[in-house]
Amino acid sequence: MRTLLVDDEALARREMRRLLAEFAWIEIVGEAGNIDAAAAQIEQLAPELLFLDIQMPGGSGFDLLARLEKLPHVIFTTAYDQHAVRAFEVNALDYLLKPIEPERLAASLSRVKVAQVRAAAQPEAALEQLFVRDGPRCWFVPLREVRLFTAEGNYVRLSWGKIHPLLGRPLSMLEQRLDPKKFFRANRRQVINLEFIEAVELGVNGQIHVQLRDGPEVEISRRQARQFRKQTSV
Amino acid sequence: MNPPLPQPRNSKWAYWACQLTGWSLYGGANLLAAALTDHLPWKAAAFEAAVLSSIGLGLTHSLRLFMEAHGWRRLSLGARITRVIAASALLGLLAAILMRVMNLDTWQTGEVLIDPPALRRLFVSGVQMLNWTVLFSLWCTLYFAVLAVRDRKSAELRESELIRALQLSELRVLKSQLNPHYLFNALNTVRALIADDPARAQTAVTQLARTLRYTLSSGQEELVSLQQELAIVDDYLELQALRLGERLHIERDISPASCQVRIPVMLLQTLVENAIKHGIAELPEGGILRIAARVEQGALILEVENPCPSRPQHASQEGIGLRNAGERLRLLFGPRATLSLDLTRPAWAAARAHIPPSA
Repeated sequence: MRTLLVDDEALARREMRRLLAEFAWIEIVGEAGNIDAAAAQIEQLAPELLFLDIQMPGGSGFDLLARLEKLPHVIFTTAYDQHAVRAFEVNALDYLLKPIEPERLAASLSRVKVAQVRAAAQPEAALEQLFVRDGPRCWFVPLREVRLFTAEGNYVRLSWGKIHPLLGRPLSMLEQRLDPKKFFRANRRQVINLEFIEAVELGVNGQIHVQLRDGPEVEISRRQARQFRKQTSV
Repeated sequence: MNPPLPQPRNSKWAYWACQLTGWSLYGGANLLAAALTDHLPWKAAAFEAAVLSSIGLGLTHSLRLFMEAHGWRRLSLGARITRVIAASALLGLLAAILMRVMNLDTWQTGEVLIDPPALRRLFVSGVQMLNWTVLFSLWCTLYFAVLAVRDRKSAELRESELIRALQLSELRVLKSQLNPHYLFNALNTVRALIADDPARAQTAVTQLARTLRYTLSSGQEELVSLQQELAIVDDYLELQALRLGERLHIERDISPASCQVRIPVMLLQTLVENAIKHGIAELPEGGILRIAARVEQGALILEVENPCPSRPQHASQEGIGLRNAGERLRLLFGPRATLSLDLTRPAWAAARAHIPPSA
């Protein structure tokens, strides 16, 4: 598994290499000492697994994740930032405390392996997820669980369960990553998840309103209505 | 002087339990005495006992209300004794009058009840008043004794709570000084060194131990010489150099005259830690940390300068560490001692301590 080490301390990276030497299936493809270097390496090397320190000069591990288009598996490594890791409220995620205990590392890696096997069984990368940071809280959000994306200026508001975090990039950019078979541009400001459609209401003058499960009613713009009918055979 | 003590929640019940039991026993004793001497019909004796208990209960309870309203428990012992005796005598008189009104002032002689002559009745009332006075004085003594024991208990409780709060705050200070993030990173560094460079790992453990010992004992001594503090700062910086590698450069400009000046323990260490944590460690390219000390007109000037990110990321934390250090400095050296943080130049910070000669 292609792995990248991100830590601002050379000695800590060396220690990590030594600990990982036991696991033959882990292939360390590179190292980075700050998040700019890490972002460049991720672009270039496309690692599948990231060991990520949280406090680093020039930006934290969270800042790095918020910048990434495609997320690898992430295992946080930190000396004393449990509180920062606890910012993750909804999804469980993995973190290791430095100095790292070999047993805990082995347990984390076996979880990664299980996730990898599961992902291999479901092709088309249905497990695509976003890293979202809103104020002090952050989440790994699986895209298929988001029912609605609403543009707010240059940002996007996600409707995900009861949580509505703000994503720091424009809707047009996000839309390119979304599977067009599952997500539909309803109007100028909104993209809906087709799997969340509960009811469709056809108006007299060709207007279409869509009721989303757990979510608001969304209007399909006239420009998109024909496409919508074609795609959902309403 | 002391604030009013909080009453235990069950004190009201305890008071009434004591009152009722005490006066019932008193009534019972009277009844028993009457039965033994056997010169009163049973019904009359029971009625008399009940009236006596009620008088005692009623008057002592009124007395308690009065004493509480007038704060007798906070009076000095002498003032309290005089007041208690006077009040007891007054209530004794009242009780005797009440008995007189209720015709309970018959002299128990074993004779058939007769109407005694007026002089004798006065004498009997006098004796009864004396009895009551003694009884009420005893009651007050008991009452204040119980109060004293309870006050003392709650004072002890309050003291132990105070001590606990103090220890907690000391612990918090210690924890912030120990800086767990630094500590665990240092341990991780040492772990890496054990395989790479065992000799350097040994040195690092010694340095880490010295830093920890100094921090842990910093609560005991308030002032150390700058030289002592510098030794620990050097240990700390060498450990940080292992972590930060090329990113950390250090310049020292320490005048020989300043080495023996006494400074608050952990002052320079706090400044240097801040400079690393919020300055050098936040910069991918690192920078130069400059430590300067000189004596000007008898006062020691300590300066720690470092480059930092143009937008300080942890401004609030930095504030707390520096504010504590500044407060300690003023407590030890008076208002002429100052500690300031200069952030006027972009991407650059300078902490400056001015320590006047100690008195």
